[in-house]
Amino acid sequence: MILNYIKIAFRTLRKNKGYSFLNIFGLAIGITCASLIFLWVEDELSFDSEFEKQDQVYYVPTHQEYDGEWRTFNSTPGPFAEAMKTEIPGIVKASRTKHRDLLFSVNDNAINSGGRFVDEDFITIFSLKFVEGNAKEAFNNPEAIVITQETAEQLYGKNAKAIGKVLKVDNTENYLISGVIENLPKNVTFPINWIAPFERWSGDKEWTNGYGSFFADTFVELSPEADFNDVDAQVRGLLEKKTGDSDSKAFLHSIKDWHLRAHFENGKQVGGRIDSVRLFTIIALIILLIACINFMNLSTARSEKRANEVGVRKAMGSGRTRLIFQFISEALILAFIASLVSVLFLFVLLPQFNLLIEKDLVLGLSQPFHIVFLLGITLVCGIIAGLYPAFYLSSFKPVEVLKGLKVTHGSANYIRKGLVVGQFTISIVFIICTILVYQQLQHIKNRDLGFDKDQLISLNVNGTMIQKFDVIKQDLIQTGAVSSVGLNNSGILNGGNNGSNLTWTGGTNTEDVLIFFRYISSDFLETAGMELVEGRGFYENMAKDSTSVLITESFAKLMGQGSAIGKKIDRGDVYTVVGVVKDYLFDDMYGQSDPVMFFNYHGEASYMYLKTNPKIGTSDVLSKIEAVMKKHNPAFPFEYSFVDDAFNAKFKSEQLVGKLSQLFALLAILISCLGLFGLAAYTAEQRSKEIGVRKVLGASVSGIVKLLSKDFLKLVGLAIVIAIPVAWYVMDNWLGNYAYRIEINGWIFVIAGIVAIVIAMVTVSFQAIKAAIANPVDSLKTE
Amino acid sequence: MQNILVSLNEATRTVNSGSNKVTLLDNINFNVEEGEFISLMGPSGSGKSTLLNCIGMLDNFTGGGYTFLGEPVHSMKEKNRSKLYKEYIGFVFQAYHLIDELTVYENIETPLLYKNVKSSERKAMVADMLDRFNIVGKKDLFPIQLSGGQQQLVGIARALIGQPKLILADEPTGNLNSKQSEEIMELFAQLNKEGVTIIQATHSESNAAYGSRIINLLDGKIV
Ligand SMILES: Nc1ncnc2c1ncn2[C@@H]1O[C@H](COP(=O)(O)OP(=O)(O)O)[C@@H](O)[C@H]1O
Ligand SMILES: [Mg+2]
Repeated sequence: MILNYIKIAFRTLRKNKGYSFLNIFGLAIGITCASLIFLWVEDELSFDSEFEKQDQVYYVPTHQEYDGEWRTFNSTPGPFAEAMKTEIPGIVKASRTKHRDLLFSVNDNAINSGGRFVDEDFITIFSLKFVEGNAKEAFNNPEAIVITQETAEQLYGKNAKAIGKVLKVDNTENYLISGVIENLPKNVTFPINWIAPFERWSGDKEWTNGYGSFFADTFVELSPEADFNDVDAQVRGLLEKKTGDSDSKAFLHSIKDWHLRAHFENGKQVGGRIDSVRLFTIIALIILLIACINFMNLSTARSEKRANEVGVRKAMGSGRTRLIFQFISEALILAFIASLVSVLFLFVLLPQFNLLIEKDLVLGLSQPFHIVFLLGITLVCGIIAGLYPAFYLSSFKPVEVLKGLKVTHGSANYIRKGLVVGQFTISIVFIICTILVYQQLQHIKNRDLGFDKDQLISLNVNGTMIQKFDVIKQDLIQTGAVSSVGLNNSGILNGGNNGSNLTWTGGTNTEDVLIFFRYISSDFLETAGMELVEGRGFYENMAKDSTSVLITESFAKLMGQGSAIGKKIDRGDVYTVVGVVKDYLFDDMYGQSDPVMFFNYHGEASYMYLKTNPKIGTSDVLSKIEAVMKKHNPAFPFEYSFVDDAFNAKFKSEQLVGKLSQLFALLAILISCLGLFGLAAYTAEQRSKEIGVRKVLGASVSGIVKLLSKDFLKLVGLAIVIAIPVAWYVMDNWLGNYAYRIEINGWIFVIAGIVAIVIAMVTVSFQAIKAAIANPVDSLKTE
Repeated sequence: MQNILVSLNEATRTVNSGSNKVTLLDNINFNVEEGEFISLMGPSGSGKSTLLNCIGMLDNFTGGGYTFLGEPVHSMKEKNRSKLYKEYIGFVFQAYHLIDELTVYENIETPLLYKNVKSSERKAMVADMLDRFNIVGKKDLFPIQLSGGQQQLVGIARALIGQPKLILADEPTGNLNSKQSEEIMELFAQLNKEGVTIIQATHSESNAAYGSRIINLLDGKIV
């Protein structure tokens, strides 16, 4: 029996090549799309999932209250880890950590490598596996460092023993390699290439020992029996117990949430990447649904052709169940072919998709899970797509169809129209969303930042760059490639150093506002293109500015009416405002400009900014800068980044949403058009006799095209009417996430509507014209 | 006494067309004994097809009594009814109604599939039938590759394969030329001789003559 069905299915496919192509192609695109999305989702969900202690490991961030609002920070005070471990019974391990980039050099081979200074507990918290040395003795020596296999290979080559070797770090210090660990999994939130004892970094820094500075990334491990809520409550109370301040609360953030649920708003977890994961999962399902709808439409549209077979089979003794089974197996066979085709598509498209989303996904068809999942999609698609046609086709009464009565379509017609409307509604919603996401992204990118991110290069300060700042600057400007050079203690786009509880002239002395501190060289403002709106900039000689500060406009506003120049700010030491700088954006590009206070001091700068000459080509500029840096800071490799790249990187997730929604809008429309194309073909075929008669009676080609297209355009029109409020609702919600957002403009709906109509018209009229210009004699003879 | 296969007792068939009740078959009374070859005659629209479909249980009488092999069909459940006709009835259609996607062999085989006949048995039965109708050479062809007469031969073979007691043939030669018609009629006569009961609808006098009894229909009534 099954064999009989398969045979029939293949012959039907072969006989109706066009129909089969539309169905298989549409479904294959749908399955390809969904597979790409599901691969991405799988990758997102895999973050940190390979660590063993999924239920016990937590990160400890802090909520801090400023001005009635809770902000969330990644840092805790130095002694907090130890305090949690000793005072909270449920916490069995705790480690302070500090991320650093170190320069490792072995002979001429130097690499910059990110890792963490950690407490010994870190090793057990993350169950690090040693391939050389062991966990117990790894941190016995205060000069110890443990590196990953990959780092060991980079330094010493494959298969060379690394343990016991002395490693030169930052060209000044020696570390002793006390162990080599397995590389961490690919997807981790806190990647490391090495770990070294925390004291090696904190040793001479007195401020790391008190509760005054929040700087450490802290990880803890709970005992397996511990009750999370209980431990978390104790962690939340512990800072206040230590400092007496109730405006900082540390809390536990589960390893399972690090990647996907890491957004906090006013002290509450409010999603994160999980939102994108959900969104795209839904989109994948919708695209599959559109593809299945195609299948339903095309199969029921062809019902006339199948009706006779149904009648005969019933007269031969087939029950309805068998027919349903037959039609569903046909759909399954089709779905199966489609999924084979989609595997082909995936092979071709996955590399492009990886480029687009900047990931390294692999198809992994050798993984049973992937195979099962693909088969699952195939099965579900086949059943969804086949169920309705199967029930519909099998319901025909043999007497009627065998008598040659036209199958009365009634409900099927309405359902089919409804499905077309559904498909186009979805497509139009996609079009509108795509336009709006794009607009919002452009809107934010074109926002006045208060500084000029173009032609701005950022270098990490290392080696002798500060000591030799003046000559470096001089030489850089001499090359003609650079017009201005400035130093800053924090990245221009970052939040960085901040504090509260300052007082100032014009204030109330109860200020609870978070102020951001920037220690800059005198020409930083010029380099960054920031604008001085009042007063003066800094003197080149920083000693002359030891009590002067510049502030941004929003800070000046806090100081009340009148010019801020000459007003005093008390931050332990008292400073005088000598200039006001235009507000600029950092950290949150969607938010407001937070108040900033600039000091004229570059002794501890971390970043050097270079404004380059737009008239010289980028590679030329870079090689000139490199030559200067090599001359004055030869021990360190020349590494740089462009501020506008870093700026764009801040919109990664939005950009991803933008790119993917473009892609999926396109595919949704393509699939929908395949369906419409097929439907139009069948309508034209069904009505070929009518068209013949009309032509004989003198109807014009354009009249007939209009006749055939009219019905479809009505459906698309209806889809537009439904899609507009849906899209408006969805996008208004999405835009609600952004403080700095566009308003939804009516003409977007008009454009999306026109696009949909034009596309539908082109699709349908192709068939209509074909039918209209056919020779009427041919169609009339066939009866 | 001969076995009574079909017994119609004041059987009627009405349809509601809008607010009107239209009577398609009116007070039909007759018995069909096993081994008979009955020709239903009457002009187009007189109700021949409707009567055949009702007897064949593709359609139902709306009134009166219908017993098949002594069992009252009108009070049967759908399931038993379909079991009954699967078992005892074979159809031959004017338009042949072969399944285009199946070969000659597979078309003939189809009723056996629905009867859950075992594969080896099916093979033997189909081979038998092909042999008997001299179409072994055509078994792998598709219906469109055959002439009308050949298609109807396949149709008859398909009707016979389930070894039915009754063959219902609705204008089996309506689409054939006179030579082909004759061959088909000869075949029916031959089958009848072998014991198969046949009811055929026709409006050709010469075809009707092959039958052992003629029933005339006009406007849904026996005349
Ligand atoms: N479902 C139906 N509804 C209304 N009229 C019907 C229906 N089926 C058949 N008829 C009518 O019943 C009459 C008998 O039809 P039919 O049995 O096909 O006649 P015949 O086969 O003798 O040509 C015809 O006039 C036909 O139009
Ligand atoms: Mg008839």
